Amino acid sequence: MKKVFAVFLVAMLCIAGAFAGGSSEDDGNTYKIGFIGPLTGDNANYGIRCSNAARLAIDEINEAGGVNGKMLELIAEDSEGTVDKAIASYEKLAYSDNVLAIIGPVFTSPALAVAQRCMEDGIVMISPSATHKDVTNQDRTNPDGKNYVFRTVPSDSLQSEVAAYYFYQVLGYRNLAMLYAMNDYSQGLAMGLEETFTSLGGNIVASETCMVGDKDFRTQLARIKSANPEAVYIPNYTVEDAQILEQGAQLGVGPYLSSDGFSDPMIYQLAGDYTDGVIYVGPAQAEASTILTDFQAAYREAYNGDEADSFATNSYDATYILADSIKRAGEGVDRSTLRDQIEATTDFAGANGIINFAENGDLVASQGVYDVEGTTPVYVGAFQVQNGQIVQVD
Amino acid sequence: MLNFFQLILIYAGVYAIMAIGQNCITGYTGMLSLCHAGFFCVGSYATAIICKVLGFSFWLSLPVAAIISGVIGFLIGVPTLRLKGDYLCIATLGLGEIIRNVATNLNPVGISQIPRVELFGYVFMSRNKWAFIILIWAFVLIFYLLFQRLLHSRIGRAMTAVREDEVAAASNGIDVTKYKIVSFVLGAAVGGIAGCFQTAYTLTVSPASYTFMVSVMVLCTVVLGGMGNGKAVILGAVIIQFISYFPQLTGLTNVIPAQAKQMIFGLILVVMMVWRPQGILGRDKFRYGCEKKRLFGKKKEGAV
Amino acid sequence: MGTFTLYMQYIVNGITLGAIYSLIALGYTMVYGILKFINFAHGDVLMVGAFVGLLVYEALAGAAEPGMWTIFCFFIAMVISMAFCAFLGMFIERVAYKPLRNANRLAPLLSAIGVSFILSNGAAWIFGTTSRRFPYPFENEPIHIGGVTITPHQILVIIVSVAMMVLLAFFVNKTRMGKAMRATSLDQPTSMLMGINVNRVISLTFAIGSALAAVGGMLAAFDFRVYPSMGTMTGLKAFVAAVIGGIGNIQGAMIGGVLLGILEAVGAPLLHIPNGMRDTVAFAVLIIILLVKPDGILGKNEREKV
Repeated sequence: MKKVFAVFLVAMLCIAGAFAGGSSEDDGNTYKIGFIGPLTGDNANYGIRCSNAARLAIDEINEAGGVNGKMLELIAEDSEGTVDKAIASYEKLAYSDNVLAIIGPVFTSPALAVAQRCMEDGIVMISPSATHKDVTNQDRTNPDGKNYVFRTVPSDSLQSEVAAYYFYQVLGYRNLAMLYAMNDYSQGLAMGLEETFTSLGGNIVASETCMVGDKDFRTQLARIKSANPEAVYIPNYTVEDAQILEQGAQLGVGPYLSSDGFSDPMIYQLAGDYTDGVIYVGPAQAEASTILTDFQAAYREAYNGDEADSFATNSYDATYILADSIKRAGEGVDRSTLRDQIEATTDFAGANGIINFAENGDLVASQGVYDVEGTTPVYVGAFQVQNGQIVQVD
Repeated sequence: MLNFFQLILIYAGVYAIMAIGQNCITGYTGMLSLCHAGFFCVGSYATAIICKVLGFSFWLSLPVAAIISGVIGFLIGVPTLRLKGDYLCIATLGLGEIIRNVATNLNPVGISQIPRVELFGYVFMSRNKWAFIILIWAFVLIFYLLFQRLLHSRIGRAMTAVREDEVAAASNGIDVTKYKIVSFVLGAAVGGIAGCFQTAYTLTVSPASYTFMVSVMVLCTVVLGGMGNGKAVILGAVIIQFISYFPQLTGLTNVIPAQAKQMIFGLILVVMMVWRPQGILGRDKFRYGCEKKRLFGKKKEGAV
Repeated sequence: MGTFTLYMQYIVNGITLGAIYSLIALGYTMVYGILKFINFAHGDVLMVGAFVGLLVYEALAGAAEPGMWTIFCFFIAMVISMAFCAFLGMFIERVAYKPLRNANRLAPLLSAIGVSFILSNGAAWIFGTTSRRFPYPFENEPIHIGGVTITPHQILVIIVSVAMMVLLAFFVNKTRMGKAMRATSLDQPTSMLMGINVNRVISLTFAIGSALAAVGGMLAAFDFRVYPSMGTMTGLKAFVAAVIGGIGNIQGAMIGGVLLGILEAVGAPLLHIPNGMRDTVAFAVLIIILLVKPDGILGKNEREKV
């Protein structure tokens, strides 16, 4: 049997060699940008959207002549939402493809793992959707001691703080219930909201959990109903939110408050009319700017009517920020000069409003509030918390 | 390319250690267990907690992980190992899901920035992959030798007897349940240790990584290599990892969509199984009654 | 809402969920009964069934207002989806399992996992990974009965499941082919000697199991949505249901499914633990049942023959 195995191994190596020759020929003609996110598996949806948006941005940039006379190239790798696969993707992008920067990972846990490696190896990483506070709280282990990790999504604490103040001060709710999934994103938002909301004097009368991928929320909703809250906060992903809305409506639970996970237009297909009256906190919109609507239209056009959600928009912004920084870094851009330029980004006009980075790489932005009428989100305005008061900034 | 090849070797080493544990359970004693992801998870968390939260050395986490996994294996094994094969498989499947579900509910984010492994003042940096390869494969070798010794010892022969025929083994004075438990606990402990090495390399643990698919992959590794054959399962680990990372290794992922990559993997599994159901190397040569098997294998090949 | 009505509500929800599990569990149990192996690709057949059902339904009903016509379309879609999945099931059996019938028992298991990879990722490739909503073929106004809420789609799920199970029970117990099936599951070599075409029986088993999975997939689609990985966890749960009821036993699968559904709905609130732990409760009960009664609730207590 050793013969069979030997033949098998040799064949594998031959194929490997053949492909390896082909893959690394075009060095120098393009700027390579890596993407890490779940492209298969249960959460593939979010990864595919983000990679699609990045690809769309790159196509647009290339059509307009590229950057510094060179084209951009996106290499998307699958993390399957797990740490070990994300690390493998990182290894491939960083060493086999020698990418300039990495967009992603999409989920928090892989983002934590990759952020640590990016810091160590000095590669810029911009996550479009990892919201956990620790993602930008990494040890700066690279020789220069500089920060290489950025994100174009607000951290949990920023978003949940605005949400709590808005629900308490503007909407006047005192008794809230929460139904959140046990994952980094939902739990982070729910915990953040609970902390701020109770410190303001409000009550969380029911706090129910579910797992991502759960289908049946009637048990939790029946319990929430018996606690009789004024509103229910559901900071989950689209699929879960849609089911909660529908099953909640059938049981007579509501109204609902949500988070930027709700900014996915898919929700209106999945939940139909049940979305009416939902208020959610999401990315702010730049006033008098058509970048967002243009992007959404282009995305719909490019991907057979699929709709871009806010994470995809973040990914789109991240790609443009990268391109812009590469341009400013000039012809001889490398990983370190690119980093300096990204840090120097000020008032970048993206699809999600004006973008600035804090010293630790976090996004500095105000939060938008949306009120859903029927199946159309109506933009209420951008809000910030200043000196213990919620303030509308535009 | 070389770098990614090294990475595959590291992951293959981790899977090889797991496969050695699974082989002890499935190959030696003939029990079908599907919760290596659970033991893997326990081991990973043991390292994460001991190194990050408690601040002890990585090396301490190895025995601790082995003991905790072993104890969990013992607790689940004592009642369930009296069950016949398939029921054990289902009970262990449940256990694996319970461990992951509990871990997710305790902390869905997991633990990150775990301190690096240190040995005599040498710090294992993620960049120096050769160091990891040497470290992990040294342990693969150690476990291989240990389990090879075990197989040829009195205990190992008893396990083999249990696999071949429980009733005959019992009537020859072998305490079937005892040897099943010994085998299960050993397998679990080794699975836990594999988790330690995985964490030592990735430096982040998250409950999402320990799905049912991991258990399945470990089982695949054992079956693909050849059940009960120590060398074969290590080979199986290398091959499985090689197949699953093959598109990334060759840069094929730049061209084909990610789903196609997974489909190719599925296709290879089916083809491999249909082509060589007994695994690449097949059973260990000294297997009792191997003539029968070989005859059978010949006949099948002739028929196909 | 009083505690009693609250628990009544949980139980109603549990039965709906359980009815779907039962349908899927039937496929697992029938295959296991005859071939003694766990068909891990069954969950993905369910997903294919849901997709086919959705596509056919959308093509037929279009944007029509819910009414008699859409209900008719729904059942047409169900029949087409059942037929499609029946052929798919037979095809999978022929290609991936039949060559392994005499191999060691783990080989078909892995082959099944390979098939599962191909189906779920193939669907992701063709249809994309976004969830799709299965439109209700009728007005889905909730009905309130003394504080307990039930929706028409829940009633539909229960009725269709029961009808399918009654049909299956009739087929297995009263027809010649059903008899052959039972004989094959009891003793394959002997039934072959008795002139039963075992290959045909096995093909038929896969066809029926897959057709039931298609129904299960379509019914599940109301609550679960339709997406490529919808079958993975649902399949695993249905398998657990089959085991709880007594694997290889058709009535057992039905009871196991409903029991698991109720357990999931009631377990966490009854024990006062977070609802995210409902899977832990379900699997813990599975292990306990296996310990107390290894052959499941309705399982035959067979001693191993020497």
